[in-house]
Amino acid sequence: MPSSVLVVDPSAENREVLRTVLHQRGLKIYEADEATSGLALAREHHPDVIVLDLDAEDATSGPLQLQLRQELDRESSSLIILGKLRTGSPLPAGHTLSKPYHFAPLVHTIQELAAKAA
Amino acid sequence: MASLFVMQGRDRGKRFELPAELTLGRDGSNLIQLNDSEASRQHARVRKEEAGYLLTDLSSSNGSFVNNEPVKERLLKTGDRVLLGRSLMLFTDTQEHSSQNLAHEVDIVGELHTTGSRILKSVSQDQSEVFRAPDSADSPWLARARSNLQIMYRTALAVSHTLDIDQLLHRIMELIFEWVEADRGLIMLSSHETGELEPAVSRNRKGTKPDEKLSVSRTILDYVLQHKEGVLTSDAKDDERWDPANSILKLGVREAICVPMQGRYGIVGVIYIDTYTAPGKLPLRTPNKFTEEHLKLMVAIGHQAALAVEDTSYYSAMVHAERLAAMGQTIATLSHHIKNILQGIRGGSYLIEEGLKGSDQDVIRRGWRIVEKNQERISSLVLDMLTFSKDREPELIAADLNETVSDVVELMQIRAAEAVVELAWQPLANLPMFTFDPELLHRAILNVVTNAIDACEKQDGAEVAVSIEYALGDRTVRIVVSDNGAGIAPDDIKKIFSVFESRKGARGTGLGLPVSQKILREHGGDILVESTLGVGSKFVLELPALAAEDSKVGKTIAS
Repeated sequence: MPSSVLVVDPSAENREVLRTVLHQRGLKIYEADEATSGLALAREHHPDVIVLDLDAEDATSGPLQLQLRQELDRESSSLIILGKLRTGSPLPAGHTLSKPYHFAPLVHTIQELAAKAA
Repeated sequence: MASLFVMQGRDRGKRFELPAELTLGRDGSNLIQLNDSEASRQHARVRKEEAGYLLTDLSSSNGSFVNNEPVKERLLKTGDRVLLGRSLMLFTDTQEHSSQNLAHEVDIVGELHTTGSRILKSVSQDQSEVFRAPDSADSPWLARARSNLQIMYRTALAVSHTLDIDQLLHRIMELIFEWVEADRGLIMLSSHETGELEPAVSRNRKGTKPDEKLSVSRTILDYVLQHKEGVLTSDAKDDERWDPANSILKLGVREAICVPMQGRYGIVGVIYIDTYTAPGKLPLRTPNKFTEEHLKLMVAIGHQAALAVEDTSYYSAMVHAERLAAMGQTIATLSHHIKNILQGIRGGSYLIEEGLKGSDQDVIRRGWRIVEKNQERISSLVLDMLTFSKDREPELIAADLNETVSDVVELMQIRAAEAVVELAWQPLANLPMFTFDPELLHRAILNVVTNAIDACEKQDGAEVAVSIEYALGDRTVRIVVSDNGAGIAPDDIKKIFSVFESRKGARGTGLGLPVSQKILREHGGDILVESTLGVGSKFVLELPALAAEDSKVGKTIAS
């Protein structure tokens, strides 16, 4: 089963870039433009890697972040944060890219984390 | 620069700088449009003539009044209170005041006796309760002065809102000369940096020669500042005054009043006035021209002037602080938008790179499209910033409004198609040519249509309808843009025209609508918004219907 990635990003352009490139590299992609439906997708499909842009609606909501954390722990999924995480946030800050970021390192990290999960 | 400042009425607080000619009234075609149901549509005209600004009533229903007198025509002077309908305005024209470097005109002299003056009386602020109601013990002069002081207070306050200390001080000086028979007057302000008193405004009564340098005794100034009291001085020696054979008759007498300008927070400066009585012209009954009553009045004036100056400085500081804050906010929001655009360009470039690596034309094309879109965004942002920051006079030419709107709709078709929004437009038949700036108006309409498309982007059956409303004889022509998007909450309606308040998810820069509003207002029009949450919004761009023949600019007619 191919590794999967969930991209939560309000920018249609960013999603298009990732979708195009990750698809070429054999990964399955789920997309959401705001965090609430992103969380629903995560619960349904259990992606190996979740990319979360903090500018997405509700992405900085305390309760949502808690629920997302639970989902990550439950499925042992990896999280990549785009933006600056507030101190005290329940989300793991292991992989964070400040904006504006370059796509090459992001794609590289996604592939690495997806491979690890496999 | 002459101006009208609205002191009372719905438009209170507004200040209008006056061009050579303008009309005032309820209608949008007036340069000064009054939100006043008791003002006529075309109420009055003000025109600059050689002698000054002339106010003419244009057969208004309720009439025009200057200083409570009904007028058909009146030459306005600074301080006049103009009443149109319910709107009371203060007229000021400071052209007679050229800024002067007073440093060489004023001497602060060391010793008191150098000027030969001594303090006759001193009065502190509490002793000078000039604001209390006049009573029978007051001389008629003082009674009148007390009631005038009320007006002065209000006037000074009104002027203080203009943020110009210089104008305010000139006005105060004028008022002083109106009430007190002084020959010379001087207002000195404490410098913010050094704390030293510096001359700000001086005045000589017409007819007196400003030959002598104005000498103000340092001792007197120190006394006034230290004791916070106003003083009345004279250079006549007491015993000499009644002796006809003495030197006074040969030299005359100079009397002076020096009062502190004491505000809420401290001493703002001092006001000095003096009068000179030539030999042989001593007033018969009183030994002095300046009496204790004058002193009391001046102390009260000093206090009011200080309050007004403080208001001005405070205002300036507050406005400055607000502007800084707005700038800070602006820069923060700007950098947010620019960051997003940069991100877009990085994404597109990355796809192009990947596409080139794998020789994949489709990927290259996708990447390029993203880069192009973001170029367009940066360009839009820069254009809007420029339009917003410049105070541009519209270049008025006769133009076809149908054409201008058509151009916008054509441009927006692609964007509408991408957003899956239906863009409907019907030109208005038999629309006459109007006078406006087609380039600016194009921008204004474009921003509103862009906003409408963005508003209903994700909706099913999303539709934006553009139309023109005009009937022969209308004073305005209206461009209407309606959408069936999410609508705008009543509290937010004001915000959408404020700079850089970009709502979440909006692709725009937040500058679009403020720019459109600015452009319409520069034309003498405005933008009106009606919106219902969950139903949609209607933006009406109101443009004064200046027919092509009315155009005073007389430029070439657009083909």
